[in-house]
Amino acid sequence: MKKTKIYLGLAVLAVASIILVAADHIDAPATTGTTADIADFYGFEPTVGSDNTVFVVDIQSSVLPELAYGEFDENVLVEINIDTDGDLVEDKVIQAIPRDGRMYFFGPVAPAQTGLNSEVLVDSPLGDVEISGNTAITETTTNGTKLFAGPRQDAFFFDFFQFNAVIGGMAPGGFKTAAEAENTFSGANTMSIVVEIPNSVIGNTTATNALGTPVYKTWVTTNVKQ
Amino acid sequence: MKLYNIKTTFLSVLAVAALASCSNDDDMTMEPTPMGTDFSGTYTQADHMGRPGINTVFSADINGQTNVKNSFNRTIPSQMNAQFQAGFEARLEQYHDVYAELLGFQPEDVNYETNILGLDATTLTTVLANDALDVAPDMPTTYFNGTQVLTGRALADDVIDISLTLLFGGETGARFSGQDTNNDGNADLPRLTSDGVALTATLSTSFPYLGAPN
Repeated sequence: MKKTKIYLGLAVLAVASIILVAADHIDAPATTGTTADIADFYGFEPTVGSDNTVFVVDIQSSVLPELAYGEFDENVLVEINIDTDGDLVEDKVIQAIPRDGRMYFFGPVAPAQTGLNSEVLVDSPLGDVEISGNTAITETTTNGTKLFAGPRQDAFFFDFFQFNAVIGGMAPGGFKTAAEAENTFSGANTMSIVVEIPNSVIGNTTATNALGTPVYKTWVTTNVKQ
Repeated sequence: MKLYNIKTTFLSVLAVAALASCSNDDDMTMEPTPMGTDFSGTYTQADHMGRPGINTVFSADINGQTNVKNSFNRTIPSQMNAQFQAGFEARLEQYHDVYAELLGFQPEDVNYETNILGLDATTLTTVLANDALDVAPDMPTTYFNGTQVLTGRALADDVIDISLTLLFGGETGARFSGQDTNNDGNADLPRLTSDGVALTATLSTSFPYLGAPN
């Protein structure tokens, strides 16, 4: 690449990076600041050797004042997609959607159709839970699944302002030292949906990660009512 | 939904409820979904997330593409590699060009180096363009802890430092980590393998695991 192109590239990077934030917070113009903006997604064993898997979906963020934060939107359907055969097409979905102060969960079952359009799987209810305020309210369903929905601390951590300087070519030294760096998300909240589900309820998987370990291949989507 | 649809749905729900209450079948079990709650309609995908930071870090309108970040969020994972891998690899090289310039080198002299997992640029961006989070049901969870990788993402995992190490760490994982190469007490190489911050939020060992809001 020639030098002139590089300077142009730097300028483009700098402009493009102004609104960049983090894990998935504010990742694209069309969703930024909306009630459908995914902030983060986690999947983990709650304790070593547990037979459950926990999914955490964070929607919205209070990290910047102009962003939507504080209430789940009844027009936004959250879907946790689970691929169990490694073709990156969802074989099971868990859905969550709020109505009148409660979060309703459906699945995990095969969706009526895969892809970009969804309907609520009303024939496969999982359970529901009152949307919490500051104190967590949880429910456990008859199949042993724990449910939560409400505001929580955003556990993401990243010096996002310095990241923008780095990719913008304005930080010759790169990131700051631990003594100087600041977690941009310190003090931020997010609207969390948490599901702890027995692996037996999801079912077996034949998908594997890059090292051959059996895994669920998972992703979350938000879907807006048309 | 138009108003008449809402009314029709409401009436049909009432009819079902009336039928149910007339039933003599004592074995009938009520579904937990309350009657009268309307979940009808079609919902169209707006946002997508698998691994942390993929769209933020790798999607960019380069090589003549437009609207890449929005497109990424509306693409099903099985089509992501075909649509985005080449752009991701170009973006990865673009990040290295930024530091070539800052270090006083020609861009072609500072390129991505195969990382600690042994992944070259094409392989790494292929893995990342398939944007799903691998979650192992029967293994301890770690995004990467030095020996185990890709078994999920726990709340305290430092996914940014891991990602930076895989992108800029080269074969040792510490290629650009603020080294003082001439021992003058100052860093001579940029610090790109860690952002320097740690978890500050409160976590809990019990469900729902995240701390009460601030």
